[in-house]
Amino acid sequence: MTVRHRGALAAMAAGAAALTAAALVACGSQPAEDVGAGEVAALASPTPAPTPTATGAGAPRVPVNAGTLPAAGETIEPARLSIPRIRVAATVDPVGVDQRTGEFDVPPSVDQVGWYRYGPGLEATAGSVVIAGHVDSADQGKGAFFRLRELDRGDTLTATGSDGRERRYRVVAREEYLKTKIPLDRYFARDGRPRLTLITCGGPFDPKTRHYRDNIVVTAVPA
Amino acid sequence: MQFAMFRRVAAGGAVAALTFAGVGAATISPAYAASAKVSVVHGIPDTPVDVYVDGKKTLDNFQPGDVAGPLTLPEGSYDIALTKPGEPVGQAILKVDAAKVPGGANISLAAHLSADGQPRITPFVNDVSKVGAGKARLIVRHTAAAPAVDVRAGGTPVFQDLTNPKEAKADVDAGTVKADVVLAGTDTVAIGPADLNLKEGTATVVYAIGSAEAKNLELVAQTITGLHSAPHGVPSGSGGLAGTGVATWWYALAGAGVLLLVGGGARLATARTGRR
Repeated sequence: MTVRHRGALAAMAAGAAALTAAALVACGSQPAEDVGAGEVAALASPTPAPTPTATGAGAPRVPVNAGTLPAAGETIEPARLSIPRIRVAATVDPVGVDQRTGEFDVPPSVDQVGWYRYGPGLEATAGSVVIAGHVDSADQGKGAFFRLRELDRGDTLTATGSDGRERRYRVVAREEYLKTKIPLDRYFARDGRPRLTLITCGGPFDPKTRHYRDNIVVTAVPA
Repeated sequence: MQFAMFRRVAAGGAVAALTFAGVGAATISPAYAASAKVSVVHGIPDTPVDVYVDGKKTLDNFQPGDVAGPLTLPEGSYDIALTKPGEPVGQAILKVDAAKVPGGANISLAAHLSADGQPRITPFVNDVSKVGAGKARLIVRHTAAAPAVDVRAGGTPVFQDLTNPKEAKADVDAGTVKADVVLAGTDTVAIGPADLNLKEGTATVVYAIGSAEAKNLELVAQTITGLHSAPHGVPSGSGGLAGTGVATWWYALAGAGVLLLVGGGARLATARTGRR
């Protein structure tokens, strides 16, 4: 065996070692697989209310309402969110939309999470109640939803309403989406079965833009 | 008294030639548009009616100030007639023959008084395009026997010089506004003030109805839901502590590994052939 041979073999061994290491890291950092995506789609499919037709059989019943000016509805805001499995006990703030960016106005404090006040409240019999929170922040460290991606089907959580009543939910799905691909309309829907949607950030982090690539979405239904 | 007036109008055929085709065309989406949503708004004071569509009673004893619908109507032409409750359709007090309902449109039929107090039916096409997240649409329609008006929110005119039977609209921040209606260019309040809760993702259509002369001007509202949009995104992390996925330099390492393997292999191969 020549010196040349030995050098070449050493190079190949080093190459194989490097590839193995890289492959191991790649596998190890794969995000947990999505679960329950089908169920989320089913929950979101609208339950169409039959609209009356004038030409249909029988006497049509057309809904008639007094044309009174719309008053503010009775909305039960979520006030506290508790997820024992991942040690979350957070205050929920009603939030809207960032006027400048048009994005969800997640509370600046990473210990708090935000409820989308334009969508359904806990009293709703249809649609998605959305609560979003920080996974972390550059200056405050880990956020309330740091471990949201660890939730799995069957885990339970409790949302306490502004009426003081606790409502229990059961996780049916956990999904990860590229932020550019996430079907936000499905999660901010006001129709479909009643459900609670928790959203945070996840996936690879870009240190230059200081943004995560993905959103983690957990869907829960009344337990 | 008012009925007598109705009969005159119907007999004169003043509104018989009304069609919706012109106003509807702009909002038709032809791809799936086979039917239209039609609501009926009753804005004629003191005059309950039965509403007939193609000779068939669709609304019974429809009261002033009420809003009926939406009714899903296949695209087509319809005869619409209003009678005094219980009276046969042949004795309509107000009617529209062969009114064209374009597919895909969302229409409100307002039975109301003209500026000079004559009863009539005006079709309005409702703007049911989506509003931005956090927004609500306010549509105001002048359907009262009254001169031009301004509509004010919190004392500031938002719609000016609105005349019967026109509408004005704007997408505004959702929330409650204190609105009133004043005679155009003046501070003389004609209606209100009233609190308007403009719910996010809805269109609130406000009709000014009645008659200034009879001092029964008031507001009737119709709400159209389902116009909401989702926020543009959910930015919820800037720390990088939870980052998953593979950092760039691991790719570089894998690339170097491949190079070493290929390079070494090639060298071995050339060494072997060289020796042979």
